Amino acid sequence: MEKSTSLTTEKIILDLLPQQFGRRGKIWTGILISICLLGAFAYYRQLRYGLQVTNMRDYASWGIYISNFVFFVAISLVGSLITAVFRLADVKWATPLTRIAEIIAVSAIVFASLIIIVDMGRPERFYNLFLHGRIQSPIMWDVIVITTYFCISLLLLYMPLLPDLKILLRFKESAGSGKWLQKLYKFQGSFWKGTKAQFALSERAITILCIAIIPVAFSIHTVTSWLFATTYRPGWDSTNFGAYFISGAFLVGAGGVVVAMYMFRRFYHLDKYITELHFDKMGRIVVLLSLLYLYFNINEYMVPAFKMKKAEEGHLNELFTGDYALMFWFAIITGLIVPIIVLLFKKGRKPLPMFVIGIMVVVGAWFKRYLIVTPTLLNPFLPMQEVPANYHHYFPSWEEWSIAMGTLAGALLVITFFARIYPIIPIQETLTEQHEMEEK
Amino acid sequence: MKWKKNKILPAVALLIILMVPFCTEAQKNAEKKTVSFGISYWMNNNRAVYIIANAKSKVDGKFQPDAGVKVSIYLDKDSSANLIGKYITDAHGLAKAIIPPSLQSVWNASPKHTFLAKTEEDKFYESADAEISISKSKILLDTVSDGEKKSVTVSVSAFNGTTWMPVSGVEMKVGVSRSVGSILAVSDKDAYTTDSTGKATIEITKAKFPGDEKGNIVLVARVDENEQLGNLIIEKTVPWGTAVTPDNSFFDQRALWATRFRTPIWLLVMAYSIVIGVWGTIIYLIMLLLKIKKLGMAEA
Repeated sequence: MEKSTSLTTEKIILDLLPQQFGRRGKIWTGILISICLLGAFAYYRQLRYGLQVTNMRDYASWGIYISNFVFFVAISLVGSLITAVFRLADVKWATPLTRIAEIIAVSAIVFASLIIIVDMGRPERFYNLFLHGRIQSPIMWDVIVITTYFCISLLLLYMPLLPDLKILLRFKESAGSGKWLQKLYKFQGSFWKGTKAQFALSERAITILCIAIIPVAFSIHTVTSWLFATTYRPGWDSTNFGAYFISGAFLVGAGGVVVAMYMFRRFYHLDKYITELHFDKMGRIVVLLSLLYLYFNINEYMVPAFKMKKAEEGHLNELFTGDYALMFWFAIITGLIVPIIVLLFKKGRKPLPMFVIGIMVVVGAWFKRYLIVTPTLLNPFLPMQEVPANYHHYFPSWEEWSIAMGTLAGALLVITFFARIYPIIPIQETLTEQHEMEEK
Repeated sequence: MKWKKNKILPAVALLIILMVPFCTEAQKNAEKKTVSFGISYWMNNNRAVYIIANAKSKVDGKFQPDAGVKVSIYLDKDSSANLIGKYITDAHGLAKAIIPPSLQSVWNASPKHTFLAKTEEDKFYESADAEISISKSKILLDTVSDGEKKSVTVSVSAFNGTTWMPVSGVEMKVGVSRSVGSILAVSDKDAYTTDSTGKATIEITKAKFPGDEKGNIVLVARVDENEQLGNLIIEKTVPWGTAVTPDNSFFDQRALWATRFRTPIWLLVMAYSIVIGVWGTIIYLIMLLLKIKKLGMAEA
């Protein structure tokens, strides 16, 4: 690195170095840890007393754990969208967002794996999946692609971080990082010297990663959709599911990134780096993805509704006008219609409206996943007969809610700790772009 | 009049209050089921002897099994010394009792015995009792095979205290044992009766019986609910069947629904190619990372 750094360069570095938690950061972290601990206690109860502590029964055998799993897998797709697609397309304005997207992807995929293990009544039998697994099983495919996507995302998070680790080591006083963080940075990146040869290898590796992650990202959510679509159940027996899930995943991932952008911009004072231009561009992307997802929703619901096959009639009526109508129309209107309308206008693509819309998209997406999983299970082919009354309905128990919220809080905690330890906006790439702009 | 009203009304109210427990008691009693209760004696292959208690009650004109009924079964006398055991009927309304070794002397003391069964009254069921008297017996099955001609002789005898005496007029079913307890007839008749010598001989007129892989079939003779002897069953395996090798070719094929070692070839090729391709790339990327590390250390 140059001996005499320009003021602009130093300013950029100081602005983007990880910051210690202030009062609000500590309160935020405390709340997340409390929710995680409550979730851990609920899981202890589940391990001790069995799945009877949940309200899942013979018919609703998948509940909010699986809804959460699908939600996490969906939101993890954003890593490939922002990081990979934009890098390959040489979209420079997306540089400040790449690390945010990648950390959301990594933390989401970690908790997707954890929530699946939580859904297992006997988690110690997980090894049977590897000892006795059948390659014909969509569950096996899901395990393979999730593991693969996690490894690739981790590499895509780590590789571009290498030059920034050197900066963190160099600016340790300004970073305010303690002895342990310094040891961590040294362990992870002290070998990075920033030579031409290293940069060349790094660029090649990142390009290969960006190319490789796209088909893996597509397959992770396609295979997750096949867990449902390879059954005969009304509501799931659809050839549309692969594309439907992927389009939804891109939308919720983009919504998640918008929320994270606003939070980091506001609380880390990154207005100069995450500008109104970024919100405007992301707003356009969210509109595009919302329209695409709306198209697949129309395909998914209107076509079976037109035919109204006997087996699907009960399920569709429950969604449109029955027990789940409120939730269904809330998810469609809040998660799709309102974002499309608001974001079509330039004023709607300002930071605060974008933040609100991002939250609406994410919340709507969570309820949408719940509507995909549970209503179908409560509309079996054979009518429910001679079963206890509570088999006819499903509402999660407090243990299920605690565990689900615990995993969501856990994912947010991982993102929070990452932002504390590493620069949330790539420093070296920002400097490189700045220099390129100055040279031009 | 006024003071009479003031005295009568509280008295009526008191009377109503006092009647409430009786009303609820009557209501409770009305809810209790009357149990239709019976016991039966079983002996399998002259060795395993057990008693089955059966509890059921009429609900909407149909008999339904009563689960959870507490049953006590006794041998000869309703006393704690003669208690075989206390049981609770299962989901099918049945309770099975085996005579314990402690009652061996009681069992050996007489050729005839009475089994007594009693249920306890509880908040769901009325009490009930049943008894059955049986004579100790044995059932034997002999086979004769003369090339193409085959016959089965079943003999039934009862113990009179000193010797085994043949029992005539015992009705039984004789045939080839099939799954779920059914019996495949070996000739034109379904049931046979022992003669004065206590024997019933059956000529096997049907030519072929499907057997197991070695051609074995299980011949069975069954006496059902005889008043004197109870339920008796005897079985014997004979090599009189046609060897049937199960055809597993359907389950041996490679298919998406088959076992893990019968995956379709196309799926194996596709899955492994993708996994090797992607993970090969990941391994290459890790090697690049190690190369970067090596360069850095060399620079240092």
